[in-house]
Amino acid sequence: MSDVAYKSKGSVLNPLKAFSFMGRKAVTLPLDEPRDGAEYYRGFHVNDWEKCIGCRSCQKICDNQAITMVKIPSLPDDPVKGVRNERPAIDYGRCCWCGLCVDVCPTGSLALSREYIHTCRGDELDSYFILPDPNGMHDKHYGFGWAKSPDSDLVDLNRRPMPEMAPQKRLQSFDEMVHGYSGQEALLEASRCVQCGLCLESCPTHMDAPNYIRSIWEGNLEQAVRDIYQSNPFSSICGRVCTHRCETACSIGRRGTPVAIRWLKRFALDHVDHETVKRIAAEGKGGYLSGHKVAIIGAGPAGLTTAFDLAKKGHEVVVYEAMEKPGGMTRYGIPEYRLPYARLDEDVDVITSLGVKIRYNTRIGKDVTLQQLEQDYDAVLIAIGMQLGRSTRVPGSDNPHVRKAIDLLRMITRGETFPVPRRAAVIGGGNVAMDTARSVARLQMKKYGKVDITVTALEDFDHFLADPVEVEEAREEGIEVLDARGPVECVIREDGTLECLRTVKVISIFDEQGRFAPKYDDSDEQIHPADMVIEAIGQMADLSFLGEALTERLEWNRGRLKVDENGRTSEPWLWATGDVVHGPDVVHAVADGHRTANSIDTCLCGMEKVTQ
Amino acid sequence: MRPENYQAVNHPPSNEYELNFGPNHPGIEGNYAFKVKLEGDIVVAARADAGYLHRGFEKLMEGRLWMQNLAIVPRICVPDPVPMEVCYSMGVEAIGGLEVPARAQWLRVLQLELSRIAAHLFFFGGHAATVGLYTTMFWGIADRDLILDLFEEMTGGRVYHIYNIPGGVRRDLPPGFLKRLNALLDYLESRLSDYDDLFFTNRVLVHRARGVGAMDQKQALEWGVTGPNLRACGLPFDVRRDEPYLVYDQLDFEIPTYAAGDDLSRTLVRRAELEQSVRILRQVAERLPSVEGPIRAPVPNPLAWNLPEGESYTRIESSKGELAYYILSTGGAKPYRVHVRGPSQMHAVQVLEKLAIGARLEDVAQIVFSLDSCPPEVDR
Amino acid sequence: MSESKAISHRLDDVLKEIEGVRYTRQSKTRIRVDLDADALPTLLELLQGRAGYVHLSAITCVDWIDADQFELIYHVWSYEDKALVSAHIRISRDPGRYVSVYDIYTPAAFFERDIHEMFGVYFEGAPDMEKFILTEWDGPPPMRKEFDTERYVNETFAWQEYNPEWLREISAQGGGIAVKPSEGAL
Repeated sequence: MSDVAYKSKGSVLNPLKAFSFMGRKAVTLPLDEPRDGAEYYRGFHVNDWEKCIGCRSCQKICDNQAITMVKIPSLPDDPVKGVRNERPAIDYGRCCWCGLCVDVCPTGSLALSREYIHTCRGDELDSYFILPDPNGMHDKHYGFGWAKSPDSDLVDLNRRPMPEMAPQKRLQSFDEMVHGYSGQEALLEASRCVQCGLCLESCPTHMDAPNYIRSIWEGNLEQAVRDIYQSNPFSSICGRVCTHRCETACSIGRRGTPVAIRWLKRFALDHVDHETVKRIAAEGKGGYLSGHKVAIIGAGPAGLTTAFDLAKKGHEVVVYEAMEKPGGMTRYGIPEYRLPYARLDEDVDVITSLGVKIRYNTRIGKDVTLQQLEQDYDAVLIAIGMQLGRSTRVPGSDNPHVRKAIDLLRMITRGETFPVPRRAAVIGGGNVAMDTARSVARLQMKKYGKVDITVTALEDFDHFLADPVEVEEAREEGIEVLDARGPVECVIREDGTLECLRTVKVISIFDEQGRFAPKYDDSDEQIHPADMVIEAIGQMADLSFLGEALTERLEWNRGRLKVDENGRTSEPWLWATGDVVHGPDVVHAVADGHRTANSIDTCLCGMEKVTQ
Repeated sequence: MRPENYQAVNHPPSNEYELNFGPNHPGIEGNYAFKVKLEGDIVVAARADAGYLHRGFEKLMEGRLWMQNLAIVPRICVPDPVPMEVCYSMGVEAIGGLEVPARAQWLRVLQLELSRIAAHLFFFGGHAATVGLYTTMFWGIADRDLILDLFEEMTGGRVYHIYNIPGGVRRDLPPGFLKRLNALLDYLESRLSDYDDLFFTNRVLVHRARGVGAMDQKQALEWGVTGPNLRACGLPFDVRRDEPYLVYDQLDFEIPTYAAGDDLSRTLVRRAELEQSVRILRQVAERLPSVEGPIRAPVPNPLAWNLPEGESYTRIESSKGELAYYILSTGGAKPYRVHVRGPSQMHAVQVLEKLAIGARLEDVAQIVFSLDSCPPEVDR
Repeated sequence: MSESKAISHRLDDVLKEIEGVRYTRQSKTRIRVDLDADALPTLLELLQGRAGYVHLSAITCVDWIDADQFELIYHVWSYEDKALVSAHIRISRDPGRYVSVYDIYTPAAFFERDIHEMFGVYFEGAPDMEKFILTEWDGPPPMRKEFDTERYVNETFAWQEYNPEWLREISAQGGGIAVKPSEGAL
C-alpha cells in the first residue's frame, strides 16, 4: 500500500464512542484478594519432608546457586535406607523459579505452589531465605503449581536393560547368566546417576560409587578402577554377587529402578585389561618392607582383603588355605553361573601380585598348628568363614539322603559327583538355598532332562531372606518356591531311601523377646516327595583347631569369638574377622578386612614385636 | 552513566546544545541512553549509549550446564522472550542431533506467534505514546496482559516462560486451552477495528509519522536492517520464509510489506503482521489436536549431559527482526561460547543514530520506538 | 532448480579465487569457510560484490586460550541463495589486532566495537573503538577466558547474610547449614 487511508476530517460525535467502553469488562483487577495462579504456575516452593531424602540434586541443578542444604537433627538419618536428615533451604534473592529443581528431584518431594506474593520491609530481608515445608511459605497452601509430572521429569527412571540368558538356556550349563553391559549401554546407565552419594553412605565398605560412575561416564575406565580399588579389591566379585545395599539406597530407586551400580562396577573391571588392573591396584604400595610378618588363616574375601591392605603397607603376608583354591565361600559357595571362577581368579591374582603368598591345601590344626603360627608370625588373623552347615535336626535328618547345602555346593565346585536326585526338596529361604536349588536344577536338567525341586522357607514372602531377583530367576528355571513352611519330618522308607519331606504352615518365627521360637499350625500339612532333602538353614564355624588351652584363654560371646569392632580378640596377637565373627556377606567381609588390616598395621607399627 | 562520571561536552558558544534521552525516559524503550546534539530543534548528531542492562549473560552461559542456561536465555529480550528460548534450544538440538517431536514443534510455533502478537501490542502502545495517543498505550498493554494470562496457563510464568528445553517443551497444554486461545484471537481481531479508529487511521499519527525516519532499500540492506523494519522498505525477507524452521513450511501466511520505509510504514507493517500471526494461530489451533505424540525428545539427566563437539548458527524471526545464536561446544557439559545476535544491535545503535540526524527533537522518540529497539538485546 | 545451481556456482567461483580456502557445506543453508586472516577482507568483498552475500549477520569472537589465539567468525547471509557463509579466521591473542571490515559491511561497526571491549581485539580502521556497554569498567576485557566472574564478584561484593528464625531454632537443636551452595554446585 503506498498511501494509507485515514480520516482527514473528524466528527464532533467521535468522542461519544468512549461511552461504549463503560459496558466492557475492566482489565485491571482489584487488590483485595490476589488472583489464583494458573494450574502450572511457578510460585513459591513446597517440600514434602516425608518424601524428601536430602539427596542434594536440587542444589546441584540450581543455576543460581540458590539452594543451601540444612541439617535438621530431629529428622530420620538412615544411610542403609538412603535417607539423610538434610533438607533444602532456598534463597529467594537468587532463585528465578525456573522449576529445574522440581524436574530433577528424584523423589518428587519438591514442588512449586501457586503462591506468589511476599512483601517485607528492608530490615526483614531474612524472610527471603526460606526452608520450604509442606505448608507453604506463609503457612497457607495455595495448591500445587509446577509439580513433578511425567512430561517434565528430567530423571530417567528406567534402567538400561541387562542382557541375560533365557531360563531354558541357563539350565543347560553353568555358564555365566548375566552378560554385562556394552560400552554404550554402560555410558547411558552411568548418565542416570545424580551423584547424590547416598550409595556411598550405605555401602558397608563405603565404595565411592558416585566417583567411579562419573569416571565410567567420562570414559575414563582406568580412573574408575582406581576409585574402586580404594575400597574394594574384590570388585569383579562384588560387581556380580554383592547384595547391593547401594542400589537399595539409590535416590533414583525411590520412584524408578535404581542405577545399576553393581553392573557398572563389573563393567569397569571387565573392560580394563588385567595387567593394567594389577598396576593400578599396586599404586601406593611402599617399596620397603616393614619386617613384620602376618599369618592369615583363610583365603576368603575377609582374609584376602586384609592381606591386600597389609601387603600394600609393606608387611609380609602368608595366607594359609585349607582348600586347593582361593576364594572361600565366593568360590565354594557361589555357583559359577553367578560368578565365573576365572573372574574370581583374576581378583585373587591382583592380590597375590602384590607379594601375598598363599599356601593351599594347608589346614591349621593338621598340617600346621596355631601355636607354630603364634611363634613364627607377629600377628595371626582367623578368617576361616563358616564351613559347616547347620541341621534342622528334625526326625530323619540324620539319613545320608539328607545333605547340607554348603557341602553340595562345595562338591559341585570341585567337580565331585554325587547322586543327583530326581526330585529334591530344599529347606531354607536364603541365598544359599537359592544357589543350591538352582545348581541342582542344572544337574537335574543334564541328567534327567527335567527340573523337580521345591524350596520351603520359614519366612513369608514379605520377609524373605533371599534376594527377590534370585527367587524370580529360580522360579523361571522351574523351581517351586514356597513360603511360610516349617520342616517337621524327613520321611524315610524301610530300605533307607528318602520318601518325602513333611512341612507345616508357619504362624510365627520369633517370640516376643525376638528369640527364635517358631510356632506351627499342624493342621496345614504338605508332603513334598523327594529323593534328597537339602538343608540350607545357616552355617557355623569349626574352631576346633584353636586347641583347648587357647579356647579357654579366649573370650567368647554366645558361641562366637568375642572381638572388638576391628576384629581383635582378647589375645593381643590374634584377630578374627569376616563370616566367622559376624558376616553376613562378601561386602561386609571386605569392610571387616579393611578395619582389621588397619588395626593390625597400627599394632605392628606401634610395637617392635607383638608376640612373646 | 552515573552523574559524577558525566563529562559535559564543551561546545563553542553557538546555537548547538546536547540533550540526553537518559536511561530513565519515557521516550526510550527500556533502559538506554541516547545523546542528541541539536541545533535549534533539529538533530545534527546522535550517539547511543548502552550498557545499563548489561548482565554479562554470554559469559555467565559459559559457566552453566546446557540445561541450566534456559533460565538465563529469556531474560535477554524482555518483551519477546520466546524466540530467545526457541533459538537457543534449536541451536543445542542442532549440535546434539536431537529431533524435536512434531507436537513440540507445533507448540513452539504457538508460543512464538503469541509472543509476536504480545510484542507488537506492546510496540503499538510505545509508538502511540510518542505521538501523544496515550489511550492506545494503555490498550496495548491491557490486551497484551490477556496474552500473558494464556502464557501463564501454558508455561507457568507470564513473562519469562522457561518453557522450551533442548529436545522439546516442558509441558503439554492444559485442558481447554485451545478454546480459550480461539476466544482470545476472536477478541483481538475485534479489537483491531478499535485500534484502527483510534490509532492507525488517526490523522495525528499519519501526519506525524509519515516521512519521518525514512530509509530506502539500499540503505536498509547496507545498514543490516532486518525484520519488520526491512519489510517496511518493501523487501519481503522473513526468516520464516527464507529458512523455514519448525513447521512454518506447513503454514499458510503472507509477508506484508510497505514501500515507504518511514515510521508510518513500520507501524503498519506490524499491524499487518499481527493479522497474519492471528491467521497462523488459528491454523495451529486447528491442527494441534490431531498432532499426537511426545512433547520432548529424550535427553540425558541434565547433570550428566555432554554435548558432542560442534557449532551451530541458528537464525529465527523474532518480532524485532533476525535473531541469531552462535553456540560452540567443545564436547563438554557447558557451552564454550554463546554469542547472541539481537536485531536491535543494528537497529538501536547505528540505524537509530543515522536516522535521527535531520529529525526534529519531538520525533526522536518516535523514531526510537518505531524501530522497535530492545536495549536488553543490545546489552545482553 | 538450475537457477539455484547457477547462483551457488557464484559462491563456488568466489571461493576458488582465494588461496588457502577450505570450505565444507554443513547443510543446505550453512557453509563453513576456513581461511587465513590476511585473505578475509578479499573474501568478504568478493562475497558481497559478486556472490550476493550482502547481509552481515554477526561477527563472533571465540577465545581459544590454550592455543593462544582468537577466532573471528564472520557470518554473512545471502537473500538470494538463502544460505549463510561463516568465515573462520584465527588471529594471535597477543596482540589482538585485526583490520576492520566496516568499509565492506556497515554493521561490522557494532560487532567490532563490542569485540573490542569484551575481548580486547583492536580493529584498525574501525570508525569507533570507544567503550560502549562497559563505560565504567576498568578491569580486563571480561569475555576473555582468564577472567573469572565468580571470583571477581566474591571479591568485590558482599553477599547477603541471612539469619532467619527457623535457622536459629535448628542451630539450637544441633543442626545448621550442612552444604553451602558453592560447595554443592557442579
